[in-house]
Amino acid sequence: MNVIETTKLTKYYGKSRGIVDVDMTVTEGEIYGFIGPNGAGKSTTIRTLLGLIHPTSGSATIFGKDVTTSGPAIREEVGYLPSEVFYYDDMRVIDLLRYSASFYKKDRKAIEQRIKHLAELFDLDLKKKIDDLSYGNKKKVGIIQGLAHEPKLIILDEPTGGLDPLIQQQFFHLLKEENEKGATILFSSHILSEVQKLCDRVAIIKDGSIIKVEQIKTLLENSTKRFKLELVNMPDASAFAIEGVSDLALVNHSVSFLYRGRINEITKMLAGQDLIDFLVEEPDLEEIFMHYYQKEDVQ
Amino acid sequence: MNVFLRELNAYRKSTVIWCASLSAILLIFMSLYPAFTNDVTAAKQVLEQFPETLRTALNISLSSFFTIYGFYGYLLSFAILAGSIQAMNIGTGIISKEVSGKTADFLLSKPMTRAQVVSAKLAAALTIIVITNVVFAGVSYLVALMVATEKFAAGTLFLLASTMFLVQLIFLALGALFAVLIPKIKSVIAVSMPTVFTLYIIGTLGDVLGNDKVRYLSPFKFFDTTYIIKNVSLEGKFLAIEAAIVVVAVAASYIIYIKKDVRASA
Repeated sequence: MNVIETTKLTKYYGKSRGIVDVDMTVTEGEIYGFIGPNGAGKSTTIRTLLGLIHPTSGSATIFGKDVTTSGPAIREEVGYLPSEVFYYDDMRVIDLLRYSASFYKKDRKAIEQRIKHLAELFDLDLKKKIDDLSYGNKKKVGIIQGLAHEPKLIILDEPTGGLDPLIQQQFFHLLKEENEKGATILFSSHILSEVQKLCDRVAIIKDGSIIKVEQIKTLLENSTKRFKLELVNMPDASAFAIEGVSDLALVNHSVSFLYRGRINEITKMLAGQDLIDFLVEEPDLEEIFMHYYQKEDVQ
Repeated sequence: MNVFLRELNAYRKSTVIWCASLSAILLIFMSLYPAFTNDVTAAKQVLEQFPETLRTALNISLSSFFTIYGFYGYLLSFAILAGSIQAMNIGTGIISKEVSGKTADFLLSKPMTRAQVVSAKLAAALTIIVITNVVFAGVSYLVALMVATEKFAAGTLFLLASTMFLVQLIFLALGALFAVLIPKIKSVIAVSMPTVFTLYIIGTLGDVLGNDKVRYLSPFKFFDTTYIIKNVSLEGKFLAIEAAIVVVAVAASYIIYIKKDVRASA
């Protein structure tokens, strides 16, 4: 069963492009990654699904219901965490979470217990005023308000900003637990490693259009890394002429390149170099689009 | 109900402050009434020395100023001015604060229709205005009892007091309309004060210039105290204009709010 289904979903803000002809299908029980650079249209898609903005054309359904006509019924079963969280500063955390819970038809006692459980898990003081919380703690409030009613669909729009690595890990663990219990997750991010850790399938969006939908396994097999080396001697370009290397740049004693392929192959080559230092990092999404999805993009 | 209660709670302090302030204005000003009526002739002579245009601008009618209704009606024009600011602040703020406070994502991603959100908020705003008016009318009556030197009909006094509620309704509705029309309202006061004072000045200018048609442009002139004192009723055509303004502004607020895009808060 498809939990989310969009058909040629398009949104223009006046003349400026939001999303164009987005076709997306998220199946029940899936963790679906939605990745793209800032301004690509991730938030626009999500906000259209939630009824926060109205589509210019096309359609979108959640649980088989039209998002433009069945918003409240859909949102009853949806938990949403936006990238930036803002709540009522005059409220205490517990009051905000109770206020949030009051919108749902589900058993209040069960939600209350879950709020307490999640607050303990994330070490969040429920008695504090929202205004007194750090941004990271506000984000925890966001997670709890989004998950307390045990939604069937969890929509996360770049949710990890402001969370320290330990909390991020707990959050991902919690999401996997929710997924095992049956929740479907739409996870938007511009950080590839986050999506790789969590998702089953990923849609890549660029300039308002989905350019690729890929199983995460395939994406991992095609994983690209950027290598930056500092060498004792002047580098020899021919040493780097191996399969999978692209975007090679040699400046004085420094070498930078993208590599896609078996890590063993590249480490063999590196073993032959007289290294002072080396750094391996994920390329940014623009680089991935440029070097790995060039063909699809052109098509 | 949850949004309604949340809004009542959020406006609790400001409602108490407005009620206390309006009551204080009443108490202070009405306590001067005995001093004015002790020697009507002398007081009248002083006021007669004022240029007529100034008396008109200050809403002073020598024929009724020294009666409890007239004195109260004079005070009422300033109370209505203050009350209008309160109403417009609430009407504008209660809708726009979700966008200015960036909490719209939280509220509108909950299982409620936008019409339900507007209804709950406007109901809370109306409740606050009703509470303010009940307090204002109650204090008006008690103070009038304390200072009146002649018998007075409570009905006439309450009818006069009710004009504040009626004018506030207009500004509440206009506030809601402005809140959905203006994309981002950073300061509610920056919207309410110019609107209220502009309409107040238009009304006063109409009086000074003796142009009766200006009454149709300023809600402050919809309900003439002299007419109410004389007829113990409100002018029907202005009640109809009021109803039309409120219905159109509120209906437009619903339609625009329902159709509006809520852009990302970042």
